Amino acid sequence: MGLFSKEIEHHPCEVEVSHCFDSLHAHIKFLDGTVIEPGDEVIVQGGEIMAPYGEVVREQRKAIVRRASKIEQIWTRWTGDFEVMELCEFSFSEEVTL
Amino acid sequence: MNTIAAHTADATTVEEGLAIQEQQAKFDSDSATAVAMTNTLLAPRFYTTNFDELDAIDVSNVRDDWDRLINRMVSDPNKGHFKKNADWDHIDWENMDPDLKKEFIDFLISSCTAEFSGCVLYKEMKRRGKNRDVTQLFQLMARDEARHAGFINDALREAGVAVNLGFLTQKKKYTYFRPKFIYYATYLSEKIGYARYITIFRHLEAHPEHRFHPIFKWFHEWCNDEFSHGEAFALLMKTDPKLTSGFNKFWIKFFLTAVYATMFVRDHQRPVFHQALGVDPDWFAYEVFTKTSKLSEQIFPLTLNIDHPRWQSTLEAIYKANVDLADAKAKKQVFRKTMAQLRAAWGFVSLLMIPSKKNVVPMSTRLEPVY
Repeated sequence: MGLFSKEIEHHPCEVEVSHCFDSLHAHIKFLDGTVIEPGDEVIVQGGEIMAPYGEVVREQRKAIVRRASKIEQIWTRWTGDFEVMELCEFSFSEEVTL
Repeated sequence: MNTIAAHTADATTVEEGLAIQEQQAKFDSDSATAVAMTNTLLAPRFYTTNFDELDAIDVSNVRDDWDRLINRMVSDPNKGHFKKNADWDHIDWENMDPDLKKEFIDFLISSCTAEFSGCVLYKEMKRRGKNRDVTQLFQLMARDEARHAGFINDALREAGVAVNLGFLTQKKKYTYFRPKFIYYATYLSEKIGYARYITIFRHLEAHPEHRFHPIFKWFHEWCNDEFSHGEAFALLMKTDPKLTSGFNKFWIKFFLTAVYATMFVRDHQRPVFHQALGVDPDWFAYEVFTKTSKLSEQIFPLTLNIDHPRWQSTLEAIYKANVDLADAKAKKQVFRKTMAQLRAAWGFVSLLMIPSKKNVVPMSTRLEPVY
């Protein structure tokens, strides 16, 4: 990992999108065990994966991982905490008026 | 609608539910993509944390309480609950007051996104962790969150709103939270969620004429899931006394203040929703804060003094500053925007300066939902 430079990697992944009554979820699993670090960016290649209502779609794709530089990783570790409030649930969006 | 005999809401695990779906299901994918539906792209965030720290958690000192809680979550008392039955009344979306419809759909989408994001976070923690106790907990919580999200999604579909899960192919940046901040924020989020849902549920039990949508009938079991998740985070915090002592007491006060203030502001921004429920947002806020404070005495060494003379007036000042801020932003008034930001920040500091009440944390952490 460079101090300032970003590195680009390609990894196989499995995307699972469930658009079902009992479970609405979407996850990416890297098939080669690659690990994502703070500040990294991930883009799954290919078209949008759309699961029609009631279906689970599982697809193997390639993902581009843009590794954060060391500086960016440190920055994300320091500043990420400021956004932690987004984990809280308040029933409504932050928009003042709709 | 799903017409299969074995309903996936009866599944014990996410995986089992998916298997039932795959084997038996015949679905109405056409209606999901119907042009008439509004498309809402879900935009959850992606997180990393210190997974080594999570793996190092040792639940030995709370083992009995931990096992009881996990066993109950494994037994899945709410399995099969989150499906429509005869109690799901018909809703006349066409004739619903447009302002109420707007605020109610905002409620459904925000709740669905929150459940969905919770699922993403918990699943990530499950996947990356190696500690069996911790990964089992996060797997169970991910199951509940995905189930809630699916249930709300169903209500949204009825209202003509289709959620779009296509976000995975967009660029996603992974941010980072320290584990302790995840504990404070999610513990409070789960407990305040419980307090909010049970307060609305009890209010509507007494005033069923205000129940303008059947989803409120499901709030009881729904909030019991939130309650259990909160219990799990309380036990996690109990494993390490450092998390609730020393400088961390400041963080606890900070999170309590931030969560209460944010809830106050967001609720007051949705007057039509609350009016339809027959609920005064000030009364509701006080009720929810009282319940949440009482519950959080199980683990936090302090509670906020919500009876302090400055409490209510400062919350109102923050709310007004927030309204002015949005207006100034829309009108591109830089000076007014800055002043509104300063007023909101000062209000928050002013809330933080209210002395908190000391609490002696009980030996036994576990609570049961009694409200």
